[in-house]
Amino acid sequence: MIYNQIRNMIASGNQSQVQVPQAQQQPEPVQDSTKEPVKITIILPTNAYFLSGIRDFTLTMTKNMTGFSEQWAYRFQSVVDELCNNAIEHGSEKGQNVTISFVNIPDDSLEVIVEDSGTGASKYTAAQMNNLVKERISMMQGQYLGLRGRGLPKIVAEWTDELLFEDIEGGGLRVRVKKYLRSKEDAVLSSSGDPTHVMLT
Amino acid sequence: MTQATITFEDVRSDSDKKVKIVKIVGQLDESNVDEEAKKIYAVIEGAGSGLSLIFDFSDLEYMNSKSIGYLTDWYSKVSSSGGKLVVAQAKSNIVDILQVVGLTQLVTTYPSVEEAKLAVM
Repeated sequence: MIYNQIRNMIASGNQSQVQVPQAQQQPEPVQDSTKEPVKITIILPTNAYFLSGIRDFTLTMTKNMTGFSEQWAYRFQSVVDELCNNAIEHGSEKGQNVTISFVNIPDDSLEVIVEDSGTGASKYTAAQMNNLVKERISMMQGQYLGLRGRGLPKIVAEWTDELLFEDIEGGGLRVRVKKYLRSKEDAVLSSSGDPTHVMLT
Repeated sequence: MTQATITFEDVRSDSDKKVKIVKIVGQLDESNVDEEAKKIYAVIEGAGSGLSLIFDFSDLEYMNSKSIGYLTDWYSKVSSSGGKLVVAQAKSNIVDILQVVGLTQLVTTYPSVEEAKLAVM
């Protein structure tokens, strides 16, 4: 269903773009096709209107393609939503695009890459983002009652194993998050505090 | 814009406590949460002191970090005026996100509205 929604977005002139999985674009003889990375890229206009469609896509794709449980599918839904929100709010001005890529190695890992155009009024560099996340993680050690600021340090950082910010040559910010599939961890409805989380700076 | 509907229902009681059930249906995200939040602020500010709120999340499918921020702020406002704020019937993905941000340390979640009523009345 979500694939149809994305196609409809393209057909309606919203400049959205879906690239078919790379494995299909460049067929090569493979010995273990189940471990081949599958990459899906979606380009959206800078508008929060499209976020519900991206969440639906993330949920369906994670459930059906990756080996992650339904609980993690919902968690990825939130991670992707928060990253896209930040790109729309800070990184890309209206009329520009936000690019979201999913790289899945089945039964191994799921990586999400979100890129903005660097044209937003309140854009950040990779170095600024690293400092911001560290500050917010520290700020939220205690009881935090503020209105904003939970997305990156609590939802994104706690539900991924790797978080990396990169400056894009020519302008813009690229955020990479990666989660490895671990069967024992994945099977448990755990709360926060993944002890394996690594912040890449 | 993502769809969300908020309705309010007064809970009748023998005591003089003011209790409302706030039922949110749909999804709260960046496209709608600021507008929807205004309705809840209006109820809190219009009720005066002692208002307690039971958030019925049985049909809430998604909430983002900003909507969690608003929920935290409503908790602060209601608590500081002598009331309570609790959550009832939240789906597992909603409880999961409330846990990861630490809000379940402040806001108690109940499996049913009836249990939530007993807690606030």
